[in-house]
Amino acid sequence: MYRLVPSVCSYCGTGCGVLFEVLDGQLLKTLPLKTHPVNQGKLCIKGWNLHEFVNSRMRLQSPLLKVNGRFHDVTWNRALQFTAEKLKGIIEKYGPDSVGVLVSAKITNEENYLLQKFARAVVGTNNVDHCARL
Amino acid sequence: MKDKVRDWLETGKVDLFLGYKQVDGHPLPHAFSKENLAELGELIVSPARYALEKLATEILAIKPALKIGILGRDCNQRAVNVLTVHQQISPGQIQILEVNCCPSPLRKHAACSTLQPQTYGAVKLELGVDNNMSVAQMDQFDQESLYSRWMYEFQKCLKCYGCRDICPVCFCKECSLENNDLVATGGLPPEVPLFHLIRAVHMAGRCVDCGLCEEACPVDIPLRLLYRKVNGIVKDLFGYETGGSHEQPPFSLLGESTPPEAEPHSKAV
Repeated sequence: MYRLVPSVCSYCGTGCGVLFEVLDGQLLKTLPLKTHPVNQGKLCIKGWNLHEFVNSRMRLQSPLLKVNGRFHDVTWNRALQFTAEKLKGIIEKYGPDSVGVLVSAKITNEENYLLQKFARAVVGTNNVDHCARL
Repeated sequence: MKDKVRDWLETGKVDLFLGYKQVDGHPLPHAFSKENLAELGELIVSPARYALEKLATEILAIKPALKIGILGRDCNQRAVNVLTVHQQISPGQIQILEVNCCPSPLRKHAACSTLQPQTYGAVKLELGVDNNMSVAQMDQFDQESLYSRWMYEFQKCLKCYGCRDICPVCFCKECSLENNDLVATGGLPPEVPLFHLIRAVHMAGRCVDCGLCEEACPVDIPLRLLYRKVNGIVKDLFGYETGGSHEQPPFSLLGESTPPEAEPHSKAV
């Protein structure tokens, strides 16, 4: 019924330990993980409010596709298909170096690895950068 | 301790017991209940402190019918008293199983291992305020030096609101620190020293000296010392010991007895 779930903050690349309070499957609050070696029981304002974006009604539940200047909810299949076709078209017309891939501090190492592999092996470009280099 | 908790859960004295359990190498707060009595073997006293009474109060706000037991030190007991005084919980809704405690001027016995005083760097000791200082030591600085030292501490603030968010006795629905008429919100740096002084004033007659705010502060502002000073004034002026009883604080406008009032000002000439 009531659980406390340890996790890692999803905002930046620091990786602070957080503790989620969960009551009946609903995320109530975020606490700093006191014994975590990275943040030692401290958090910034974003970490303190992690639960807010999870519960937010503004949160996107499905991909959006812009058709005639307006966003529409579409399925993942449709979104991926559309993106693949567009990318393919751009690469054929302007060459692979016209594409750049931005990886992220908010995803896992493995996902980052996959993304750079995608850029280098599939697209064929070295244009890979990272949001933490801003 | 485990037998007692088992007894409490089995007899229905409490529906839920908040203690600690080792998870992935971290001592984490854990809710024990009648349904998972087998887990009781893993109940531990954690060296890392969490405000269990705050968690319990949050559950009770949603499920008021529950009775919750918590593993508590003196600071937890004081916080429960303050929460009862301010009618956030009814007496008896939170039962405390007492365990050994860390040092506090409010009760001087100690077996808590985590509050080893941290040592601070030369710059902080030269320009700021040492977190390990007592109020008496701090009072020995002259006014000018006190001002510059506290301003040095306050200007480090990241405005994470962590001190408020972790505080077991911060329960207001509308927080003055989010009120744009009182203090600038939505931007950095925070309004110094207004931001911290608003909180300090609100801690008068409320702070239970648990020290969680200081532990949660990313920039080591000596908040515990600040609130000790504020609460010391409350004690000197009104003789009120915060968290020591279920007595109404002197600032309470509600309640059965009228709080002591300051002498009215003589009319301006």
